[in-house]
This record gives sequence, structure tokens and C-alpha cells, in this order.
Amino acid sequence: MTEKKKGKLTKVLDHLKHEDPFSKGVAFCPGCGLELLARFIPQVLGNDIVITGTPSCSAPVLLGQNNQSWHKLAYYGTLMTGAAANATGLARYYRKAGIDNTVVCFNGDGTAADIGFGNLSGAAERNEPFLYICYDNEGYMNTGIQKSGTTPFGATTTTTPYGKTSKGKNLRRMNLALKMAMHKIPYAATATLSDLDDLAKKLLKAKEATKRGFAFLHIFTPCTTGWGFAPEDTIEVCRRAVKTNYFPLWEAVNGKIRMTKTVKKPKPISTYTELSKKFVHLTKEDHQILQDDVDYEFCMLGGLSALEGECQLPVSSED
Amino acid sequence: MNTKAREKSQIKVITGNAAAAIAAKLARPDVVAAYPITPQTEIIEQISQFHANGEMDCELITVEGENSAMNAVTAACLAGGRVFTATSSWGLAFMYDAVLATAGARAPVVMVNVNRETPGIIAVSSGQQDMISTRDAGWIFLIAEDCQEVLDLVLQAYRLAEDYDIQVPVMVHYDGFYLSYLSEGVNVPFQEDVDQFLSVLKDQPERTKLLPGSGLGCGSHGILGGYMELRYKHVSAMERAKAKFNEIDKEYEAIFGRGYGGLVEEYRMADADVVLVGSGSMCGTIKTVIDTKREAGVKVGLLKMRMYRPFPSEAMIAALKGKKAIGVVDRSLCFGFKGGPIYTELKAFETQLGGSKMISFIDGIANTDITITNVEQMIDTTCDLAEGKDVREVTWVSYPEAQEDGGL
Repeated sequence: MTEKKKGKLTKVLDHLKHEDPFSKGVAFCPGCGLELLARFIPQVLGNDIVITGTPSCSAPVLLGQNNQSWHKLAYYGTLMTGAAANATGLARYYRKAGIDNTVVCFNGDGTAADIGFGNLSGAAERNEPFLYICYDNEGYMNTGIQKSGTTPFGATTTTTPYGKTSKGKNLRRMNLALKMAMHKIPYAATATLSDLDDLAKKLLKAKEATKRGFAFLHIFTPCTTGWGFAPEDTIEVCRRAVKTNYFPLWEAVNGKIRMTKTVKKPKPISTYTELSKKFVHLTKEDHQILQDDVDYEFCMLGGLSALEGECQLPVSSED
Repeated sequence: MNTKAREKSQIKVITGNAAAAIAAKLARPDVVAAYPITPQTEIIEQISQFHANGEMDCELITVEGENSAMNAVTAACLAGGRVFTATSSWGLAFMYDAVLATAGARAPVVMVNVNRETPGIIAVSSGQQDMISTRDAGWIFLIAEDCQEVLDLVLQAYRLAEDYDIQVPVMVHYDGFYLSYLSEGVNVPFQEDVDQFLSVLKDQPERTKLLPGSGLGCGSHGILGGYMELRYKHVSAMERAKAKFNEIDKEYEAIFGRGYGGLVEEYRMADADVVLVGSGSMCGTIKTVIDTKREAGVKVGLLKMRMYRPFPSEAMIAALKGKKAIGVVDRSLCFGFKGGPIYTELKAFETQLGGSKMISFIDGIANTDITITNVEQMIDTTCDLAEGKDVREVTWVSYPEAQEDGGL
């Protein structure tokens, strides 16, 4: 068991070929999944990425604070409405000027799924040459835990509070990653922090794919403060999200969808919800609604990935 | 306008939109992003065709909305590129957050805004209300009178925006419908002359560029210590833009043989007692009426604003000081004030004008023509004011009901 664990860790560490560009102490909450992700990306992709982002939890650390920056990366802070359009402008100019580049447009679900979805979709449709990463913490955490399009059924937020007439969010979440895969882009994938080897491989594939156009990564990134789980449970929340099929891991290479991790015996959704206070009020019936939604999404994904081999976008001779 | 015959250009009969597109092409932008909207669409159609023909070596981004157009060109500009975009009316409104961010980032973007009304979706008609609604965004605003000036101003805009001492985005405005679709003879300069005119920028220190691996950032989160400084520097750059624009206009004249007088164009102003202040396409009509009035012995002149932001107050005061009466013609409204926006702003300098009386004319909004008759009425009313007659402060020239109603 110990040997196996070591092996796994070595595999992950092998992907960390570049230095951590961040200073040792940064202004994230203890147990923040976002901090792990933010440090991980440049160690895998290199310190010469240009990272762009918007007002969010990531903004103070990724986009500089006062006249200082918390890291050595080139960064560009912009508006939530136009995140993908700004990344487009950077990537297109670098291409025109012959400057080798990897532009990483790094945004939360509020920007990706809600206010900035229009231009995210537009950039994908135009197959713009950059990598868009959505770190999904299922709501507007920076402004104080409000509901977004990826907030799941039943979760309490400050705009979908639990009360006499409310069970928390009374709507189902959208599936952002599948939506993006339907744009017929070179690469789309989901990933999370409990499966770092998988995440690292997907980051590298996505970077490679930006030579052919748009790449999209949807990374499940739990929020200890907003969801109400213990800071030391961040990775466990990710692990259980995968094991319940709440957040399945898959990728679409040139439109060919395949699971990158298969869960043989998926656990009931309650094993996932029990860790977070945002679900604490859910009844058995409420859990069934959430379970049905998870099952529906997984069923749809199963159908799409079953077509592996026969369902692929035409690839140009350059690829 | 001082036009010298030159062999260095060719005359083409083209629309204002085509003039803008050709000017953009001549400026050799690295990145163009745009979205269609009436009456601007022809610009991006022409640029798309230039691009398709291989005549324009730029990255062309056919965005999914104006908001993205402004965001994309701003980022490309901050990365180091020369950029172009064009919009109008609701398009300008839809990119408003980005328009503010562009100015705040001091990105020297050049954009054409083809003026159109904004009260409702049915208002597919000319008017400067879109320009007025963005006047405090921190951009430099230039206004063209005719198709030739559209082309000339776009080229001048690049010199002004990208000047190392300025680095402020520039919006070139011209009246939708009246100029966008009007075909007239335009002197189209040759590429080598435009290259020469713009080459001055290459001799300047390089502006900061956001490059991979540079460790530089922009758009920082929460600048507590530096914000006041950045804003002060921005306002200072806007002030410097006035003198710089006059210089650029003179250099432009030296190369292309067309000069306009810089910030303001004075038409028969030297001995004028009575003056109309105007901007945009209305100035052609006003000049024609002034010529007729002059034949009848009326000492009237026109002060045409070529720059609206920064407000060229010094140049306007110098030209208007001591005049008996001034009538300001606005093609837009200033809600909350009775008079038009330019009138209201010029009023702030009343004491420096040395006792000149001022009145406001609202006309030409929503495609109502500012006709010869209308201009005659404005001149006559301003003459009445000069003679000490009782004249109402604000006249809605094409809407006499406003006056019958007791008026403003």
C-alpha cells in the first residue's frame, strides 16, 4: 500500500518540471483548492505562460495586489464579461508577431458559465489558440457565496438560502464541460485535484492542442469556506465527487470523448454531500433529485463516450 | 480646409465607411476585431474583403459581440499590437465596461464610432448621443465633417493614441447615414506616405508590452496606493493631447497637403461678430449658409470642433473671445440640463469669453436634417441675441412645438 502510494506521488512529481512561481505564503483561505491548482499549473506548463483572469477569489493572488505581485508570471487582469475575448486578443497578437506563447485564461465558474459564457463560446467557435481553464467552485465565492450556473441542486448559497419556501438552489446545474466539447474544439476535458496525474496529463495535452486551436479544461475545485467542509478535506471532497460520478473525469480529443477514469461501483451521492454543510438540510427525497441529475449527466456522457472510435472530428493533415 | 493639389494621392469616390476602412488598412494594424451594426457594418465588410484578398496582413477576429471586440483589441494592444475596431450606438453601449477598462489601462486603441441615436431599437438614425454617453470614459474624441476628414482623422488618431507622451485610446466619430453612406471624392494617400507619417512612432521609446516570460502584469487587483497617481497621469496625458494634436495636424498637412487647423477649424471667423459652434457633418451646411449670409453683409463665422475630448477650451476661448453672440448647435441632448451638451460645457468658460452671449440650438437628432433653412434660422436668432433682443436660451429648431409649449 505504501509502495503504491509512493509510486503515484512520483508520477505526479515527474510532471512538475518547472519551478513554483508563487511566493510561499499567499492570500488564499487555508485548505483552498484553488491555491493548489494555481501553483500546479505553471509547474506543469512552465513559467512562460501568460495568465489572464478576472475579479474573483484568484484575482488578489493571480493578478497582483497594490503595486506588488504574488508570482513571477506575466499576468493580465480584466473584466468578467470579456475574459475569453481578452485572451483572444493576446493570443492573436502573439501569433501575428511570431511570439511563442501559451495564454491561459483562468477563471471561476461565474465568469465561465455565467457572465462570460457568451465570449467563451465565441472564442471556442472561432477556435482561438489559447487554453481556457474554469476552476469550478460552484458559485461566486469571492463576493460571499452566491449561486452560479454550476451550483448544484440543493446547495445553499447566500442567494439560494435554505428557508421555509426554499431547499437551497431549486434548479439543476449546467454541464459546462460538455457544452464546451460540443463546440468541436481540439481539446476539452474535466479534471480535479484528487487525480493530479490525470490533471497534469490533461494540462499538457491542452497546451499541445492550443497549437491547433481552442482548449478547455473544467477543473472541479472545492471551496472550504463557501461549502462548509473542513480545510483538510479538500482532496477528499474531490475524491468522493469522482467516486459518486458527481464529477466524472473524461476528455474529448478532436471531438472523440472517452472516460479517463472509470468508477466500477459508483457510491451514492450522499457519500459526497455529507462532507459539506451546504447540503446539510437535504432530505432523502432531495438527495434523490440530486442523484437523478448526476445519473442523467453520467448516462448522457456514457452514451457519448460509447461512440469512441466512430465519432471523431475530421483532423487536418497538419495534425 | 487647405487643399493643395498633390500627385501623391489618388481621388476615389467612396463612402465615409469606405474611407474609414481604407484608413485602417493604410495604418497596417496587427489585430482587428469587429462586429456588425448599422451604420458601421460596411467598415468591417470592407476590412474583411481586404483581408480575404490578402491586401491586409492582420489578425481579423470576427467576434460574437461588440463587448468582445473592445476586449480583444485592448488585450492585443497591451501585448504590443496596433489595433482597430469600429462600432456605433448600441454597440458602443454594449462594450461600455471594456471602453472604460481600455482607457484605464491606457491602451492606445483606435476605434471608429459612427454616430447613431440610442433611445430605442427603432432609432436607426443619426445623432451624437452615443458619443455624449461615453464622453467621460477617458478616451480622446475626434469628430469628422466629411468623408475626406474621416480618412485623415483615422490616420491622425494613430499618431495621437500611440504617441509615447499620450498613450490614450482615440475614438473617431462621424455622423451615421449622413457620412457613413454618403459617397464623395476622397484623396486616398499612398501607402509609403502613410508609412512615413506613422514612422515617427517607431523612433519613440517603446511602450511597455505584456509579453510571455516578462513577469509583467497589468490590470492589477486593488491598486490602493497607485490609483490616484494613475488617474492624475491619465488626465495630464489628455491635457497634453491638445498641443500634440495640433502638431500632428501640421505634420499631416506637410506630407499630405491637407490641414484643418488642429483642434478647431475656424471658418470666416476673423472679423465675425456672430458665431455658430458646431461639429460633424452639419458644418458643411453651416459653411454654405455662412457664405450666403456674408454676401448679405452678415458678419458670421463657424467654429468647428474637431476634438471633443479633451474639451479644447483654450482654442475655443481664443477663437470666440469678444464675439458678440455665440450659438452652439448640438446634435444630442444633455439630460438634466436644458441646453445641449457642448453648449453646457462651453458655458463653463463664459467669464473667459469676455461677455459673449450664448444660446443653445438642439437639432439634427434622430435623422432630422439640419437644413439650410434651419441654419439660417440659427444665424438670425444668434444675430438677434447680438443686437440685444430677447431670445430664448434653448431652441429646438426642427420641433417648434417645444417653443410653443412655453419652451425651455
